[in-house]
Amino acid sequence: MNNCLRELRAERGWSQAQLADELDVSRQTINALETGKFDPSLPLAFKIAELFGRKIEDIFQP
Amino acid sequence: MTSKLDTTYSRGDRARARAYAREFAVGIVAYVLVIGAVIAWGDLSGPGWQRYVWALLPLIPTLWLVVVVWRHVQRVDEYQRQLLLRQLAAAFAAMVGVSVTLGLLSFAGLSMTLAPWIIYGAGMLTWGVLAILDSRGSR
Repeated sequence: MNNCLRELRAERGWSQAQLADELDVSRQTINALETGKFDPSLPLAFKIAELFGRKIEDIFQP
Repeated sequence: MTSKLDTTYSRGDRARARAYAREFAVGIVAYVLVIGAVIAWGDLSGPGWQRYVWALLPLIPTLWLVVVVWRHVQRVDEYQRQLLLRQLAAAFAAMVGVSVTLGLLSFAGLSMTLAPWIIYGAGMLTWGVLAILDSRGSR
């Protein structure tokens, strides 16, 4: 699954570690999400969408 | 721009790592103390049944270490839990492979007193190597 997490994070000037703290996950997980190695669970995807004020489908594309 | 920042750990990462290290250190210190006590006072080659109790005494801190790993699994997030599960599955496969190999070799007369420790070592080594590789892969 593709996503624009890196771009959204860059827009806010956040590091991976800062985003990890916002979402209460590890930096390793943020890196895996951004590089497409890992697809998040639905609760985490909702949390990401809520944090950036977007719809899930705006952030994650199949 | 954020490449330098991207290699640092988050506050949550550090808190989880500290908690794991602290609990693990308690287990290791207890293990060393118990082993010391067994060596100093445990008459492992004696005649009585007490020697079995002494020999099994290090299991107490070992069980604590199992609890520590379990607590760590509960603390990590969904991706890290997935990685951990994969590492533990590979470690289990390595232990099964080594134990079956040693078992088959024993049919041919090869008897190894240290066989349980070789099996244990194979599992721990596999887990450790995969944990390092997974950690490096996410930098």
